[in-house]
Amino acid sequence: MTSDIRHKKMLTIDAKNVDFYYSEFHALKNINIEVEKNKVVALIGPSGCGKSTFLRLLNRMNDLIDGTRMTGSVLIEGKDIYAPNIHVDELRKEVGMVFQKPNPFPKSIFENVAYGLRVNGIKDKTFIEERVIESIKSAALWNEVKDKLNKSAFALSGGQQQRLCIARALAISPKVLLMDEPASALDPISTSKIEELIYELKKDYTIMIVTHNMQQASRVSDKTAYFYLGEMIEYDDTIKIFTNPTELSTQNYITGRFG
Amino acid sequence: MRHLEQEIQSLRQDVIDMWKLVISQVANAGEAVLSFDKELAQKVSMREKKVDAYELKIDSECENIIALHQPVAIDLRFVLAVLKINSNLERIADFAYGIARTFITNPSVILDAELITDTKLNVMIQQVNTMLSQGLDAFENEKSDFASAIFSEDYQVDEININAARIIADYIQKNPDRAYDCLQLIASIRKLERIGDHCSNIAEEIFFYIDAKVLKHAPRK
Repeated sequence: MTSDIRHKKMLTIDAKNVDFYYSEFHALKNINIEVEKNKVVALIGPSGCGKSTFLRLLNRMNDLIDGTRMTGSVLIEGKDIYAPNIHVDELRKEVGMVFQKPNPFPKSIFENVAYGLRVNGIKDKTFIEERVIESIKSAALWNEVKDKLNKSAFALSGGQQQRLCIARALAISPKVLLMDEPASALDPISTSKIEELIYELKKDYTIMIVTHNMQQASRVSDKTAYFYLGEMIEYDDTIKIFTNPTELSTQNYITGRFG
Repeated sequence: MRHLEQEIQSLRQDVIDMWKLVISQVANAGEAVLSFDKELAQKVSMREKKVDAYELKIDSECENIIALHQPVAIDLRFVLAVLKINSNLERIADFAYGIARTFITNPSVILDAELITDTKLNVMIQQVNTMLSQGLDAFENEKSDFASAIFSEDYQVDEININAARIIADYIQKNPDRAYDCLQLIASIRKLERIGDHCSNIAEEIFFYIDAKVLKHAPRK
């Protein structure tokens, strides 16, 4: 019955009763969140509220930190990503990630985007080339780099590097794209390009973005989750959150009265 | 096209659609009065709810754009102007509805053709329709010049209204049995005069949006 309902709503992310601990520190408390396919969800809240921790749970980045513990379940397209038979490498093909600071590899623009395909054992040159071009186009970077694909990625501006990192994440055709403050290190024009890109990308991907910039959350997302002290205080349509939130605490945070 | 531009484009289209509806409401209400066409008056009455629905939709779109996109400069002026144009258009449609209702609820009212000519009721109806269309032209084409005639036309409408009072008073003295009909007529003339004022308010908002000029309460020739 439950799976029927899930199927109807096309849930891409379904986290249930998630608790997370850094040793003794209880970082996430009973988080429940459902994300439909092709939606953008923004996670907002003051520093240390748990939003990045939650984001990193979705591709098991927290596995790398000693002394952490999680209870509850996280399903991506119906699959429990913490089940024993799940390989983290396989999971990360489904769930791509873009970080706060652009982190291109010390390789050419082309090779940066081809990297994920090559490490996954793909050797077909034509396929790689097509996929690289397609990904760079999807990341709205093509016109700026099409004549210098063999140049070093470091020659690009910060905003271009970030879009290159997005192209790199897209190349392996993930279902979910996680973004941890993807524009916080960028100037306003580059930020605006990333925001427009997110709006375009949601046609093909489901996106979760952590941002400290509330206006950015309001501009790019369909749904917004407000986190505070490890709890998810409110999760609703972005329009609702930014015009008439249910919780006073959410209102105080988004209006800048607190946080 | 940027996301915000798409939202603004869609808001603009809703305003244009509402505007066209309001123009036809005013034109039909005027025509209903001039030709004693009760069916047409009924049509105006039935379409009033449609205007109200547009008003609510546009208000909500403006609220969402401000809350979600934080418009600045011309985008901000556009949204602020649309909020005010929206309520002015809704008031105009209310007056058109009021005029139509007068002739639905008072089926025995007959207006003397000569009195209509003398009070210039027909000219007044024509004038406010022109003003509404000029406003829409200016808004659609983003040319404030197209709206500049509205201010002087509003004076002409005011003039007709002032003169009508004297003409109707004289008529009542000569035809006391028609006093009730005349009160209905003067009520409609007052409504048309208010429509002219709202057109003028709209023109001010168009200048604010396009040229960033505040004409409100400014003395005019």
